[in-house]
Amino acid sequence: MSIRLHWARRPAAGSSDAIGVHAMNERAIVRNSRLIRATRHLQDEALDGLIAASNGLNNFLDSNAVYVLGGVRPIGESALVLDRDGASTLIVTPAWDVERAAALSSTDDTIGTDDLVATLASVVGTHRLDLSRTVSVGLSLLGQGLLDRIGSALRTLPKTADELVRDLARVGTAEELAAAERATWIAERGYARLLEYARPGLREFELAAELYCFMKKLGAEDNFLLMSASQHNLAVRAAGERILDVGDIILSEITPCYRGQFVQICRTTVIGEPPPLLREKFALLQAAMREGLAAGHAGARVADVTRAINGVFQKAGYGDYCRPPYMRVRGHGLGITSDRPGDIVERNERVLESGMVFVMHPNQYIPESGYLMCGETVVVADERARSLSARPAQLDVIAV
Amino acid sequence: MQTMQPSIMLGSYVWAQDRLPQDEFVLRLDDLRAAMARHAWQAVFVYGDAREHAGLAYLSNFIPRMRWGMALLPRAGEARLLCSMSTRDLPAMRTMTWISDVQSGWGPEWEKAFDPWVDRLKSERTVELGTFGFDLMAPALHEQVRRSLGDRFRLQRADDILAIPGSRKRPRELTMIRASCKVLEAAAKTFVESWRNSQEPESAALDAERVARSFAAQDVRTLISLDGGRTLVPYQGRFEKTAGPLVGYIAVKVLGYWADMLITVNDRSATPASRHAEAALDALVANVRPGARSGEIYANAIAALRPFTLHPVLGESVGHGIGLSLHEQPEFRAAGDSALVEDGVYALQVGIADAESGHVLLSAIVRNTANGAEVLARSPSLEAA
Repeated sequence: MSIRLHWARRPAAGSSDAIGVHAMNERAIVRNSRLIRATRHLQDEALDGLIAASNGLNNFLDSNAVYVLGGVRPIGESALVLDRDGASTLIVTPAWDVERAAALSSTDDTIGTDDLVATLASVVGTHRLDLSRTVSVGLSLLGQGLLDRIGSALRTLPKTADELVRDLARVGTAEELAAAERATWIAERGYARLLEYARPGLREFELAAELYCFMKKLGAEDNFLLMSASQHNLAVRAAGERILDVGDIILSEITPCYRGQFVQICRTTVIGEPPPLLREKFALLQAAMREGLAAGHAGARVADVTRAINGVFQKAGYGDYCRPPYMRVRGHGLGITSDRPGDIVERNERVLESGMVFVMHPNQYIPESGYLMCGETVVVADERARSLSARPAQLDVIAV
Repeated sequence: MQTMQPSIMLGSYVWAQDRLPQDEFVLRLDDLRAAMARHAWQAVFVYGDAREHAGLAYLSNFIPRMRWGMALLPRAGEARLLCSMSTRDLPAMRTMTWISDVQSGWGPEWEKAFDPWVDRLKSERTVELGTFGFDLMAPALHEQVRRSLGDRFRLQRADDILAIPGSRKRPRELTMIRASCKVLEAAAKTFVESWRNSQEPESAALDAERVARSFAAQDVRTLISLDGGRTLVPYQGRFEKTAGPLVGYIAVKVLGYWADMLITVNDRSATPASRHAEAALDALVANVRPGARSGEIYANAIAALRPFTLHPVLGESVGHGIGLSLHEQPEFRAAGDSALVEDGVYALQVGIADAESGHVLLSAIVRNTANGAEVLARSPSLEAA
């Protein structure tokens, strides 16, 4: 079954971002500006078209090309076809999701289908794409079985340009920054709820359920929520059945998504009064965070930020622990818009640009204290990185 | 019903050894080992991802909360489980499976974890291996597997040779499904009561989700209608009051097993559409028996709906199997010809979208027994509602 809805709101090719889009809502305009930039890229590179695809999984670490270009977070596997004249079609599965998708989409046409392969082949024909001069983004995320069927239906697969869309969206728009700020507000309220709700006797999964639903009520459409406790943590993990107890250190990685923008805050909370040693070790993470923020200015390299953070731990004698499994990365980009600047690791030589948003987290296993967490979503500015949180991470205590 | 996939599955996925002890997995592996002997496979690789992992969960109890996992199950020797997680996360992953050898297969860890394991299987002749779920695998990983194996091994797609999990649910699986249905019914009750109090479908869905999660649901999915049941939408975050009936959907996963329900609550008197939908659901339930054909069941349900037609959100289907996957075979479609098996568990779904008579969506979960369908969960009655 296929259902096609036409949205007569495409600006003329080559027009400015605002021309011809007056009837669109603000979100659609933002998305459409990305469509226009993608169209210009096709023209500049003498390409005929672009096929973007999404596997329907929402990875908080990844860019979702269909969302970036079409403005729709798809339920199932989906594709977006853009040609060099700027004409665009969004294809979503399942077919019944077409009305929601069309209402959100910035593409000219939206088609709901239960047969993505046949519909994509038909749409590629309608747009008259020469596949030898067409590029793809996200096809590599689809399952091999589906990709094989698409390849058979199209008789060839366009060459991969998986970096294109994440590069186009690497610096957030004002609207995306506002969404990140709102998401951070939600995350901080979620953490405040943890401080109110957590108590000895509660199971981890009960606490996680409360936080998840609480933040959903505040507008979080998704949440990569890790939350776990131990007297000596090796890492943060998803909530299990452990019963919270006095002396537990609760680790939380609170990652709500608001209007397609994930953010993350990382927090450490102790049930009962912590020993002085724990405060001393947590202060190392706070110091590392300060160093990272100072180093994270526009023009700096990601590697420099990483070294600034690691330097604090090395100076304190924990240089051997600045690698997995004692930590993972010092931060990372955030989906589903763009995951730039990528992982905050020493091998990443990418240059930070003003307006880039990512999470910086000097989370660290320390032998004397276990794994501790301290992290904020930050936006890159000219002088330094700015945390979006109103209240920076502290070692919080739940009184018993 | 297809729903929005969350970025991570939140509930507790620790292996519940009291409910699913190791001997259960020994029994589950018996069929697989017999197939390995028949096809001369020296090992099978069972792949699953966060969305679809029934085979992987059935054999290993491991459910990837995000990205993917793959069990390497040899005909003789120790199994290994690869997961797409950092080495930092391995201690937590090891609590989710009976397989003691759990390794990271993520990024540069792949070659360290996969290559040495398959090297044990090397022989002078080409080694045959079976694969499950490889259609779901991303092409880059597919290529990595092939590169690691080189020409010493030959992969054979096993999905069409052996159904894993099988259609007939094992006794412990039925216990899990009953537990899931119990949580589902509690959540559905809250869905309805909350809507009655607030008239806000999204608030009602969220309240239902909260109840399910408080009962240790590992995953909860909801859809609601904002237009009286004509269409369904995932979470929008609006929490607005809406006029008209409550039409929604909820699915819960408990101990790995799904149960789901379509809900229609109309506080007006029953309409012709709702009466026909109830009759069609009754017909569906009545037609479930060992040996019944899926297409025949579809035809009987469609006949009971007349003069109305099937609601478009059901995608020309009136049900399917359910268990470790929200959507298992067989599918009850016009062209379906699968025979229903005893101890099969099925989600039966009917609905009508009619501008004049109203929109209705109803469902039931049944176990197929020698004496007909045992209803494990059913939408609240329209009249009682």
